[in-house]
Amino acid sequence: MSIERKEEHDHNAWLAEKDLTPVESMFLSTLIWADKRLRLVDYLEILETLYYRINLQMPRSHTEQYNLDNKFWYWYPLYSLGSFSTIAYIVAAISGALLGFYYAPAQGNPQTATVAYNQITFIMTNLNFGFMLRSIHRWSAQVMVAAVFLHMIRVYFTGAYKEPREMNWLLGIVLISLTLLFGYSGYLLPWDQLSFWAGQIGVEMALSVPMIGEWAAQLIWGGFSLSQATLQRMYIIHVFLLPFVVTALIAVHIGIVWIQGIAEPH
Amino acid sequence: MSQDTNTTDDATPEAARDPNEGTARTDGGEPRTDGGANLPVPPDDETPTWRERKERRVGLARLTYEYFERSRYEDQELRGQSTYLERDVLGFPTWPHETIRNLAITSFFIGMLLFLAATLPPHIAAPANPSQTPAIILPDWYLYWSFGLLKMGPLNPELAILGGQKIMADRTFGVVANVVVVSIIAIVPFLNKGNARRPVEEPFWAAVGVTGVVFALTISLLAIKNLTPIDAHLLFDLTFLVPPIAGVFTYAVLKTMREGYMYDLNRRYYRLRPPK
Repeated sequence: MSIERKEEHDHNAWLAEKDLTPVESMFLSTLIWADKRLRLVDYLEILETLYYRINLQMPRSHTEQYNLDNKFWYWYPLYSLGSFSTIAYIVAAISGALLGFYYAPAQGNPQTATVAYNQITFIMTNLNFGFMLRSIHRWSAQVMVAAVFLHMIRVYFTGAYKEPREMNWLLGIVLISLTLLFGYSGYLLPWDQLSFWAGQIGVEMALSVPMIGEWAAQLIWGGFSLSQATLQRMYIIHVFLLPFVVTALIAVHIGIVWIQGIAEPH
Repeated sequence: MSQDTNTTDDATPEAARDPNEGTARTDGGEPRTDGGANLPVPPDDETPTWRERKERRVGLARLTYEYFERSRYEDQELRGQSTYLERDVLGFPTWPHETIRNLAITSFFIGMLLFLAATLPPHIAAPANPSQTPAIILPDWYLYWSFGLLKMGPLNPELAILGGQKIMADRTFGVVANVVVVSIIAIVPFLNKGNARRPVEEPFWAAVGVTGVVFALTISLLAIKNLTPIDAHLLFDLTFLVPPIAGVFTYAVLKTMREGYMYDLNRRYYRLRPPK
């Protein structure tokens, strides 16, 4: 028994005899390098098998089988609303990350304008491309919410929530609520008059709930009146909590659509 | 397997003839790696297969196994019976057709976003001032419906049983209304069942949907009543009157459309799948 590699495992010799173009040899040596460490080939084989199993034959969709295209072609553009909200979410995430470089959730001296407000005015007036950046973030958020609402209406009127898709409808309700919460927490961050008094309404709504109201107000708004704590909590909710939760739920939502297929009108 | 005399299964009579019984030998006299026939090694064909082990399990595992067997059987049956037409894949290839189309749609959409952002930049109000309440307090437009529900105080019933008292404060009533609205939307799939998918097939549920959408709009108008050029009392009444009217109208229209529509649909259906 020798610890020398056998000849058929000598990939370099094999590569040398193959007379490959630089692109090919680069690709192959990278593949071999990764495969030695991660056993990629096994997984690629599984993927290939799955691909051929799934794609050889497909059932005709209901629409094709009964030639119903002429009946509801006008619904089809509305089937893109879910993608649109996802795309707007991605645009908002990117522009939001860039805005986060310049924003600070600090109140500072409450007698004058807050640090947060000053940072927003800095972004809008002094920062190169800053006004556009904030505009993109705001508009992508608005468009996302609008697309989510219209998506829900489309799903309702095409009956796409029916068995076996009830779970995804419920998940959608959770997602639309979280989207609104996303919008609300972002609305508070500039800490201008509209933000402040919208926050005030939120606290009062929480306080008017019996039993758990005061606890909820302290948890989410950090007290019964708005302060530094409110701003900081809204910031963490907006840039840390919700992004993780909403991204994960969107992935599950789309995954379920993928598993169950698109619900066509019958 | 039981016919095969070479297995250890019924090796005892042969082992009785073997002078070296008890030592590690087979009947051929070869040394045995399992230590001989007398050791309590389960014979091969008595070892339960994995399938048998699963079948023998009890409790929840047993139920799960039985259900999976049933559902697999059901799938097989249905596939056997179905007249489902299958075809080779006729769709466009993912690359380049689908990919380029999706990239085009996505770029167009992002372009529209950038266009909006460039032409309608956002506004920023005066800095927060806790000591001065502005005349207009508003959330973003997508929360108007929720803000409007907070203004439904006049609908909060004064119960005679409580001596004209309200069961909850107006503001609590508003918050509860929010929860109720979201809950009603959430349970729709459990109320409306069946296979119908198109509004014409279910005029009632389409009417409910239109009522809901129109109510969302009117309640949003109620939320911004300061900015709406209608008398506040009239606006309040219209908020709750217009949605049902829109619903009834939808119901009438769809019910009328339905006859001809279902006729066409049924004809097409029965032409493809004639009744037995």
